[in-house]
Amino acid sequence: MPDIDDPFSEARARCPVHAAEFQGETLPMILSLKKVRAAAKDWRTFSSDAPRRVPIPSEEDVRTVRQYPLEVDPPVHAEYRKLVEPFFLRPKQPEVAAKTEALVHRLLADALSAESVEVVHDFAIPLQSHALTYLLNVDEKEAQTWIGWGIHVFKDGDGMSKGPFMQDYCRRMFETAEENPGEDFFSTLNRSTFHDRPLTMEEKLGFANIAFAGGRDTIIHTVTRIIAYFASHTEALALLREHPEHINTAAEEFFRVFMPLTHIGRVCPQAAELHGHPVPAGGRISLAWSAANLDPEVFDDPRTIRLNRRPNPHIAFGSGIHSCLGAHHARAIMRTLLRRLAESVAAITVSAAKELVEREKDYSRMVGYEELHARFQPR
Amino acid sequence: MPTVTFITPDQNRITIENADANLMEIAQTHAVPGIDGDCGGVCSCSTCHVYIPDEWRARVGPPGEDERTTLDFNDAVRENSRLSCQIEMTEALDGLVVEVAPSA
Ligand code: HEM
Repeated sequence: MPDIDDPFSEARARCPVHAAEFQGETLPMILSLKKVRAAAKDWRTFSSDAPRRVPIPSEEDVRTVRQYPLEVDPPVHAEYRKLVEPFFLRPKQPEVAAKTEALVHRLLADALSAESVEVVHDFAIPLQSHALTYLLNVDEKEAQTWIGWGIHVFKDGDGMSKGPFMQDYCRRMFETAEENPGEDFFSTLNRSTFHDRPLTMEEKLGFANIAFAGGRDTIIHTVTRIIAYFASHTEALALLREHPEHINTAAEEFFRVFMPLTHIGRVCPQAAELHGHPVPAGGRISLAWSAANLDPEVFDDPRTIRLNRRPNPHIAFGSGIHSCLGAHHARAIMRTLLRRLAESVAAITVSAAKELVEREKDYSRMVGYEELHARFQPR
Repeated sequence: MPTVTFITPDQNRITIENADANLMEIAQTHAVPGIDGDCGGVCSCSTCHVYIPDEWRARVGPPGEDERTTLDFNDAVRENSRLSCQIEMTEALDGLVVEVAPSA
């Protein structure tokens, strides 16, 4: 039995590019790792200069702003990216790492003392929200508001997009920061300039939008799936306890196989062809990171989880200029989580789980959990 | 124990004695600028990219297949590129000099 489902294994064996339908739009999905990397590099053919249309399905109905720096091409991409990069590097600072450590410790202590925990809402969402306050350098109290936004800001279980709430909230944060400036994300963007002019509110909201939306379900799902994995592999907890040198490789292996983001789109400014699949001018293609991470041409036994896999040239954080700015944050959280789980947890038992499955016309893919009820047993 | 020298993009030479581990880990331990090693040494991120001077290339050897895959898509790749996480320091490499590639 493989550890991981691969909804694209048959399609990939036939052709590295697979046409799939999304809300009436047929997109070629690139499934091979080398071809995804090559397309990600070729931004002139496969452009990100497409407000609200880089994610698949498109987010035209759920947000009004362009996300920065995700939805721009060179040369301005690098200029926009530089404005926020210092915040995304914060997780590497020892003070920030210490806060993450204390946060994981606190949440695990609560989980260990409870009869049962709903891991998504009682553990993963608070972990993601509090950790984001450290990245954005805002008061930790703000996390309380963000926790209420659920797993995914744009498509949570109750069918209501929290996008407009988030946008109003961010606008207020920029306004409050204007009156009372500090060293936080909002104040810094208020002071930032682009081509010798201040950023517009639309641009500032676009930076905030991806920080809140893009960095949310990805982290929540990865955390929850790691916990579910240990529930069915108690021996893996013992292995990491005895071999802490495998913590980094284990985290990378979890990013590879639990890839929460199935794919991301690009727009073709000119008509193009991908392995016999025509794309009209203005049409989109998909860079299927999740499929690439299970490519048998690159990974030996791709559907088996090997906690000491090395090399592991996965592309969970993308490839090239748009590679994930949140990767330091994601790595810091997962490495800390793995270390703390190995140190303090003897076993995890799951009593009930509700999987979150992305259902499209041509495939279904499990991306995480809506609910995961578990008991954490202390060592 | 062997010695290794990193030449940073601004031409600083950082020599490390008694080097024992892979080159990325050695560089991280000694805070060599430009060697970030974000993915922890699994060949996924290419933030530990170095160039190997001609006189050392035969002894260091070529990149492995997975390493090649990651390097090929790095904008700063050259014929003598390697990911330093994949180079284990040994006595045979005593005196090795590598150039740190500019970050992407
Ligand atoms: C496990 C967690 C995560 C995964 C798997 C992930 C994955 C990705 C991927 C594949 C891309 C590339 C998109 C493209 O090429 O179009 C990306 C970009 C990005 N991610 Fe993440 N991400 C994660 C967490 C985060 C977090 C926590 C944040 C913010 C707090 C974040 C912010 C961003 C931003 C701002 C970009 C755009 C970078 C650019 O365009 O230059 N991500 N992410």
